[in-house]
Amino acid sequence: VGISTAETRPATTAAARGVTVWQIATAVAGLLAGAGVAWILSRHGSNSFGVPKLPFAVPVVVLVGWSFIAGGLLYWRSRPENHLWAVLIFQGFAWFGSMLNNSPNPVLFTIGQLVYPWQYASGLYLILSFPSGRLRGGLARAMVAIAIFLVTVGNLFWLLFADSHHSMCRTCPANLLEVTRDDAVVVGVFYVFRISGIVIALTSIGLLALRWRRASRAQRHAVMPVAVAGVVAFCALTVSYGARLAGASSPNALDAFAFYAAAAVPVAVLAVLIQRRLARGAVAGLVVELGEPGPGADPRAALSRALGDPSLALGYWFAAESRYVDRNGRPVELPEAGGGRRSTVVERDGQPVAVLIHDAALEHNAGLVESVSAAAGLALQNERLQAELRARLVELQASRARLVEATDAERRRIERDLHDGTQQRLVSIAMSLGLAEAKLPADPEHAKPIVAETRTALAVALAELRDLTQGIYPTILSERGLSAALDELCSRSALTAHLRLFLDGRLPIPVETAAYYVVSEALTNAAKHSRAAEVRVAASCSNGILTVEVADDGVGGAGNGRGSGLRGLADRVEALDGRLTVSSPPGRGTTLRAEFPCG
Amino acid sequence: VRVVVADDAALLREGLARLLLEAGFEVAGLAADADALLDLVEQARPDVAIVDIRMPPTHNDEGLRAAKLIRERWPDVGILVLSQHVHAGYAIELLSAGTEGVGYLLKERVSDLAELASSVQRVGAGGSVLDPTVVTQLVGRRREADDPVKRLTEREREVLALMAEGRSNKAIAERLFVSEYTVEKHVGNIFTTLRLPVSPDDHRRVLAVVAFLNAQ
Repeated sequence: VGISTAETRPATTAAARGVTVWQIATAVAGLLAGAGVAWILSRHGSNSFGVPKLPFAVPVVVLVGWSFIAGGLLYWRSRPENHLWAVLIFQGFAWFGSMLNNSPNPVLFTIGQLVYPWQYASGLYLILSFPSGRLRGGLARAMVAIAIFLVTVGNLFWLLFADSHHSMCRTCPANLLEVTRDDAVVVGVFYVFRISGIVIALTSIGLLALRWRRASRAQRHAVMPVAVAGVVAFCALTVSYGARLAGASSPNALDAFAFYAAAAVPVAVLAVLIQRRLARGAVAGLVVELGEPGPGADPRAALSRALGDPSLALGYWFAAESRYVDRNGRPVELPEAGGGRRSTVVERDGQPVAVLIHDAALEHNAGLVESVSAAAGLALQNERLQAELRARLVELQASRARLVEATDAERRRIERDLHDGTQQRLVSIAMSLGLAEAKLPADPEHAKPIVAETRTALAVALAELRDLTQGIYPTILSERGLSAALDELCSRSALTAHLRLFLDGRLPIPVETAAYYVVSEALTNAAKHSRAAEVRVAASCSNGILTVEVADDGVGGAGNGRGSGLRGLADRVEALDGRLTVSSPPGRGTTLRAEFPCG
Repeated sequence: VRVVVADDAALLREGLARLLLEAGFEVAGLAADADALLDLVEQARPDVAIVDIRMPPTHNDEGLRAAKLIRERWPDVGILVLSQHVHAGYAIELLSAGTEGVGYLLKERVSDLAELASSVQRVGAGGSVLDPTVVTQLVGRRREADDPVKRLTEREREVLALMAEGRSNKAIAERLFVSEYTVEKHVGNIFTTLRLPVSPDDHRRVLAVVAFLNAQ
């Protein structure tokens, strides 16, 4: 079973990728960083920078960092093309790095001071770009850009003027980056940080709320834990910064709240990842469910449950028409690119079996879609055969209805021809005879030319009638067979027609008749529309296949809309298990080709 | 008698005009469709309009509808509808709009010049003409055992059919080689048997008879 999606995403699976050296190195580095931070915190205690004095603060700090790194590694393995993994790992190390400012060592302390606010920018990026890893919209990008500027350039600028004992904490070691102490600059920059932080937090909450309102059910399902944790963290940040701006002396409860809210973000990310892994577990249930199809069982329902997408639609590959149909054989439209829907094609042995049309949110859980598709492959293949059968039935019913319609139209045409032609001529002849009869006794000289005129009219009427009956059914076809009939058609054609025949003996009458009408219609069309100079007609029978072909050297561009004439011909040909193809590139003539089994 | 002819087939239009001239009618104009016919009738005020039932644009029953319009606007203009097929329903529709000066004939009847002339004359004089084929269709229907038509004698049924064709007692008498008195007796019997109100008027009894036959 192979999977490919409408977007040209490489169809690799997690299992196919090994664990790389880099991933192992990252994991080891993460473990060591966590252990180091735990050691620093337990040895020297917290200087209240980033870690409030709370029970379990140290294990929470370590676990939060590890969850970021673990989440990143999981993402790295399952979706390497989604650079959320890099953001998560960065966030983890930034988190650990920020803890260095609890160290009494001035170098480590200063590094900690430098690194400490980075996590704010990466956290913002993480929440706003989840789960695609891409920032959508200028506002989101602008906010992340401002945040990055503030935590790097802004923070460095602040450190140039900040005295560690005055602006950080009394027990803190020296700030090695301090050039000159300027308390006014330090306080000013602090205000800028806090106000920017509040603005960004509030804007982000608005942005998340807006996205939530627009999101589909499946999309909400996919982002809910992270969105909720994000909003809580932004709220906490706003309240805590707001309190400090208002002059409150950093209440401990508020700090604790902000700390645990931030800690909830990686947990939420992990929750989403685990949720996805669990969803893949539903695939096992799917296999069982699809393995025992009850009467009328619809794989769509089972797939929809397994994927958690109630809006899932299924299309089965209808090879004869190279399109997808639903289980009732009706056509299925594939979603357009860029909309809220995506399609994933399920293949077996390189052949398309079905297409899943699902919510775009499932794109971020390609692993699930892949395993569900793989598990459903066989059941879908069975269902596809059924759907194909129904599609053929639908097609058959449509063609039958068209045949009935065509028959009616033909009868109307014959009635009209007889009414407007033959009947009128005969009435007119009757009138002339009546006139002659009236004149005969008294004025035989004037009656004579009327009788002559009547005879001429009768001859015309007979000729018309002959044409008409010939049009109803070509008698030469039943009397002399296809070769003679085609010969006559070509000699009567308005265009110069070259005929090449490779036929011997008679073919079944329905086949001869259909072939005759293909050539007749093609010659009529060529004369009417193609502006061709000449036409080549060929008919050959070999290996039990009768092929008739009519090719003109005209303007081409015909048959794309499949006019009713061509549709009727195609129905006639397909009714005999044949195939009618029209090739009519603009400027390069039109070739009509019909193939029938004639064994 | 002044006549106008409406038929979309030039062949028939011209032929008919020639025949009518030969038969001594004055042809006041020719029309190729219903609208042209209405204009022509308004201008020429003919005694009789001979109308083909099937004309452009839809080739269904334009002639019939034009006939009804003429009936409404110019009740003194006689109308003779010609058709290549006969439908009793059309005949009834036409007669229902007024039986005076109405005719409904198969097109091929025009070959008999004397018959054509007599039909145009009768319509022009306010009489009714119904094609024998329509009448045969009506009289010849399969009938239930208790149908009063079944109780008519062979001769009475002949008289009934001729009445339905719009012929007067005198014409029926001539056709059947009997006296007018005998015809009157038959007519009386028929009306009693079919329980139709006796109508003194030759014209009006056509609708009564045709409606009766059609209703069965």
